[in-house]
Amino acid sequence: MIYGRLWLVVKPTVGIPLLLGAVAVGSFAVHTALLTNTSWVKKFLNGSAASAVVQTQSTVASVAPPTLQV
Amino acid sequence: MSNATEVWPTGLTEGQALEIHRNLIQGTQMFGVIAALAHLLAYIYSPWLH
Repeated sequence: MIYGRLWLVVKPTVGIPLLLGAVAVGSFAVHTALLTNTSWVKKFLNGSAASAVVQTQSTVASVAPPTLQV
Repeated sequence: MSNATEVWPTGLTEGQALEIHRNLIQGTQMFGVIAALAHLLAYIYSPWLH
């Protein structure tokens, strides 16, 4: 394929750090989004993830729709 | 393959460029495997998608 020829026009000493930096920034953004939009990551970092899993399952059960009484 | 003596802006020959790229792709694949494993562990051990 032709992609390897990229390094004929983009210096590897510029292109590779740029590529790795972009992956790092993207990964940092995803982790930040997870931290700010979920509760269980914070609980995990506080060492109480196990209860977070149980609690998430119990809240799902309690929110279940009421069954029709015939 | 263009002729090996052609001079490109970066000064690399085509062979050198393809060699660098081969290693970069291999490293990226290794990163991908590690990331897939991390996502599997996150799926198993965290409330993600449960």
